[in-house]
Amino acid sequence: MTVDNAAEAKLYRLVYYSRNRVAQETEATAAEIDDILAASRRNNARVGVTGALIFNSGVFAQVLEGALPDIEATFERIQRDQRHGDVEVLQFEPTATRAFPTWSMGFIGRSQKGKHLFGHVTEATGFEAKRLEGERIFDIMRAIAIDEERAPAA
Amino acid sequence: MSLTASIDYSHDVEDVALAALLKLSRGVAVIGHDDRLLLKNPGFDALFGAGLTGPAVLSMIGLRARPAEDSGPFQVLLDDGRTASVEVARVPQGWLITAEDVSAALVERERAAGEARVDILTGLGNRLMFQEAMNAALDGKDTRFAVLMLDLDRFKAVNDGLGHPVGDALLVKIAQRLRGALSPDDVAARLGGDEFGVIQVGQSQPQAAAALAERLVDLLGRAYIVDGHLINIGASVGVALAPEDGGSYAEIVRSADLALYRAKQGGRSTFRFFESAMDEQMQARRRLEIDLRRALALREFTLFYQPQFNLASRKVTGFEALLRWRSESRGMVPPAEFIPLAEEIGLISPIGEWVIRTACREAAGWADNLSVAVNVSAVQFRSRTLLSTIVSALAESGLAPNRLELEITESVLLEDLGAATSLLNSVREMGVRVSMDDFGTGYSSLSYLRSFPFDKIKIDQSFVRAGDQDPGAAAIVRAIAALGQSLGMTVTAEGVETDDQFANVLAVGCTDVQGYAISRPMPADQIAAFLTSSPRDA
Repeated sequence: MTVDNAAEAKLYRLVYYSRNRVAQETEATAAEIDDILAASRRNNARVGVTGALIFNSGVFAQVLEGALPDIEATFERIQRDQRHGDVEVLQFEPTATRAFPTWSMGFIGRSQKGKHLFGHVTEATGFEAKRLEGERIFDIMRAIAIDEERAPAA
Repeated sequence: MSLTASIDYSHDVEDVALAALLKLSRGVAVIGHDDRLLLKNPGFDALFGAGLTGPAVLSMIGLRARPAEDSGPFQVLLDDGRTASVEVARVPQGWLITAEDVSAALVERERAAGEARVDILTGLGNRLMFQEAMNAALDGKDTRFAVLMLDLDRFKAVNDGLGHPVGDALLVKIAQRLRGALSPDDVAARLGGDEFGVIQVGQSQPQAAAALAERLVDLLGRAYIVDGHLINIGASVGVALAPEDGGSYAEIVRSADLALYRAKQGGRSTFRFFESAMDEQMQARRRLEIDLRRALALREFTLFYQPQFNLASRKVTGFEALLRWRSESRGMVPPAEFIPLAEEIGLISPIGEWVIRTACREAAGWADNLSVAVNVSAVQFRSRTLLSTIVSALAESGLAPNRLELEITESVLLEDLGAATSLLNSVREMGVRVSMDDFGTGYSSLSYLRSFPFDKIKIDQSFVRAGDQDPGAAAIVRAIAALGQSLGMTVTAEGVETDDQFANVLAVGCTDVQGYAISRPMPADQIAAFLTSSPRDA
């Protein structure tokens, strides 16, 4: 007797970006960003959510991929986070496969100070968009992040 | 007790099992691996109805796919309003579904929760709890506190579009966000369908309430994901402060509700503090509403008529009917003061119907070459009775349809262009004429002029008046006149008051004028005398 695998929860992908309410490119901000990333990786690993996150002084953009209840719970946690403002969902739909099977995070900013403060995040995680779809999403996120970056501090 | 069944094989086991199953009040069904219904008892039929197939049963209990593991108990809302508690267990032959009616238990739970001051769905307090908490605050040593009333924008659309289970799940998430934004001492309650109340104590006011209200509008207005749906709703908040905005539960709630009403009027997804002026305005509005509701019955409405004058023939071609309210207690009330209210409280349709019938009846007594123009609002256009009103008004009065003219503004076309043009076409087929009123204000979209072949464009009076000094306004009048000419439409300049304006609109190519330069609006019984005095017959 074989049992079909309908119980395997359907995979969803959510892409959003939000205004970064974490103030300026300072050491304190760098520490806070580190906290957010660490917490986010911990939480997401626990519930089997993977994806990508890029940010700079203006914006967070994130891809979340995982089972629907996990995506729903993660999104709800993000929505309740004061540090996010004006969350804009770019994509939310079922997907056959993960475009980001491991976590990717990166700082995308032109300011030297920002690169100095946040550049290690990119180095530590690297970008790993597995498929063309992932690259396309990532390109859009990157474009938004660059547009939304605040004027680099002098 | 052992997990294995205790069976006495001295009897025919199958017969015993079947007899027991048939007598069992709990609903039982077994669905095979091929989704066929292998077995069910009368208890099951009593819950779900007889004659169901296996897939129908699965969908009825909300399972799109067969579960890989035992699941439940979960609740299923039946079509007749009852609630069943359902469990699904794997058996060698397939899936065993057992179910029982838990409606009565739920009612009891609701009653118990009511006594416990809890809203079952969200876990917040209920209205009773809210009231008691506020009374306690009023009796406490610190009687300064803030009350926030919250109401969701567009929640009904979620319920209607995605179903009540999704709406309920959304309410749960909303309640969680709300609770998460509050201090431990604050009180939160669900007061009704999508209404929530918060009592904020022990903070310095009004700063704390303003900060919380702003936070809640932002937080609750952020997108939700529920059951795979991305949902966007908004939240409006009204704030009242104790003790200044009320000394009792009823007064404070009323003040906060008024502020909430204003927040919703102010474009939604925003918050407002109660102001005493709101109360006065609201009282004044309520008194006006009472008077307005009986004005029709008391025959306080009357129509004034303003002549429309053709520049080529130098003759009056007809009159625009203008609604006047001569209130016994208020005297003459300007239309701008009562028409918006009449639209809001749904009185515009009966009033509009009275206008059409009265205008047709009075115009039927005029010379055959004179027409009557009636303003029809977007709200009237939405009511299904407009066409039949026009048909019967014409039939009862005997007025020739081509002597009736409907004046509509762009707002009529803005909402549902397809429905509006089809209604206009029906009106046109009867021979009734149609004018575009107040042209030049609003969108003044040329596509609206193309969407329906209007008989007439009426240029808004603001351009005609400004045309004296403002070359821009004069150019607009000239352009609209040229546009109308090339589309074969009559072009009427409204609000022509002076001889200069009269000469101007004549010079730029308007075909008709209306305004004080010809005559002020007049009661019906002055029309005959006016016509014999031959206006502008120079």
